[in-house]
Amino acid sequence: MRRWLLLLCLTLLGAGCASKQVVVEGNFPTPLMDPLPITVGVIYPQAFAEHEFFDEAKGRAESDWLVKTGEAQVEFWDKVFNGMFAEVVHIRDWQTVQTRGGGIDGVIIPAISDLQYTIPTHTNVKIYEIWMRYDFRLVDISAIHLQEDGALTVNPDERLAAWPITAYGKTPTAFLQTDEEAVNLAAVVALRDAGAHFITTFGAMPDIAAWLDDIANEPPDDGEAPAQNDEPAPTIPDEGVSPEATKGSEEADGTIDMSTAGASPADPAMATEHTL
Amino acid sequence: MIRGRLRCLMRGAGIFLSALWLGGCVSATVDEMTYNEPVAGIGESSVVILGRRHAPDYDTEFDFIECIGDHIHSGDPSIDVINEIAFINEFYPWFEPRTAPMQPQSIDRLLDMPMVAERFAEMKLEYMIWIDGRTVDTDSVGSMSCGIGPGVAGCFGFGTWGTESEYEATIWDFTDKVEVGKVSANTSGQSYMPAVIVPIPIIAPVQGTACDSLGDQLLEYLSAHH
Repeated sequence: MRRWLLLLCLTLLGAGCASKQVVVEGNFPTPLMDPLPITVGVIYPQAFAEHEFFDEAKGRAESDWLVKTGEAQVEFWDKVFNGMFAEVVHIRDWQTVQTRGGGIDGVIIPAISDLQYTIPTHTNVKIYEIWMRYDFRLVDISAIHLQEDGALTVNPDERLAAWPITAYGKTPTAFLQTDEEAVNLAAVVALRDAGAHFITTFGAMPDIAAWLDDIANEPPDDGEAPAQNDEPAPTIPDEGVSPEATKGSEEADGTIDMSTAGASPADPAMATEHTL
Repeated sequence: MIRGRLRCLMRGAGIFLSALWLGGCVSATVDEMTYNEPVAGIGESSVVILGRRHAPDYDTEFDFIECIGDHIHSGDPSIDVINEIAFINEFYPWFEPRTAPMQPQSIDRLLDMPMVAERFAEMKLEYMIWIDGRTVDTDSVGSMSCGIGPGVAGCFGFGTWGTESEYEATIWDFTDKVEVGKVSANTSGQSYMPAVIVPIPIIAPVQGTACDSLGDQLLEYLSAHH
């Protein structure tokens, strides 16, 4: 009897400080719109594709929170981009850059710079909220470079546009709804809001508008893909990439190592590059 | 001893019966101002009912919108009420809290997009009804204590709280892109929870009454049979 009582006490004590984990899941709709007649490349950096947010409990009454949004982010933004643009090319390795680079008008690189959440325990308001801030970059395909270790990097100075997108999602408390379910729902609402914000402001930004104008005024392409030999594709200038780095890429097996560090500190040419 | 228990039980039963008598009392106020009523009904056209969710501190509840839709459809099965969530998903991102049109004139902006216009035409949408409001619990009083012992458990006490609903429906004529009416329903009621061993919740159907009140008025407007 005593053993059971002890177990019950320990369970009750532990319940107060248990950690809560949410892997965000949802069914995301495809945007209803006429796609822009352009081809965009998309790179989801590792930090984005595996994005998670951890908040440590501040006291015994609170719980640790781990909110994993990465998979949902990729699933959602894939749908948004596929609905917005005539063609979307996922750039996961240098081989894709070489083979498809000639037809890509621009490369979008999303990043999450901030995520905040509140639950009723924090605010005494019966609403769960999630707020996210994204930093989007649009670069020319020529700004994507290859590292010796197979990682792709981008030179931030070569960007065509950079803009932030904020998103907000809330959901009220509901009967028989757990904290985890409510936070998941708020995250899904925030993602949808981010997509709505992105779609409705995309063409209105001066840098993007100028880029779209340039594409519209370009002479028609002959449709030929760039060379697929050892030489870099003509549309992909290799500025900032040392010959050694290029050679290293040739020896790579074509897979991209997103987990490795970016530019080597010893290589001054790569010092300003951002690893993707 | 037995007489004491009996008295206690009778007192509890008295509270319970009083609560039953008082419970369920909901007062409702409905205001209506509509124009251009479709005298012959809406025929084969459809209606969508959408909740406003742009306010920072509340969302119009999805289940309330569903309740009104069910009320209208059950009152006149010939009226095709489009499911709100299906509609919002189908027209993503044009009816999100950030992007939803606030004025009927803004519909033209949506119809400028061929794919959106085509989808609206397929739906034969005639009326778009926006519902804005919420149900909240107000002040609560009373106390209740529960206990558990070897072979026995129970609660004793009494609690009561108020609930208020405020909803406003705005009807847009989708063809003419004009607002053709507003209907509002304000309801309030008091719920009780007496507990003599077992707590017995006597909930005032405040939101349900608001749904019925708004639903009746909208049904009257849309249906040729009411």
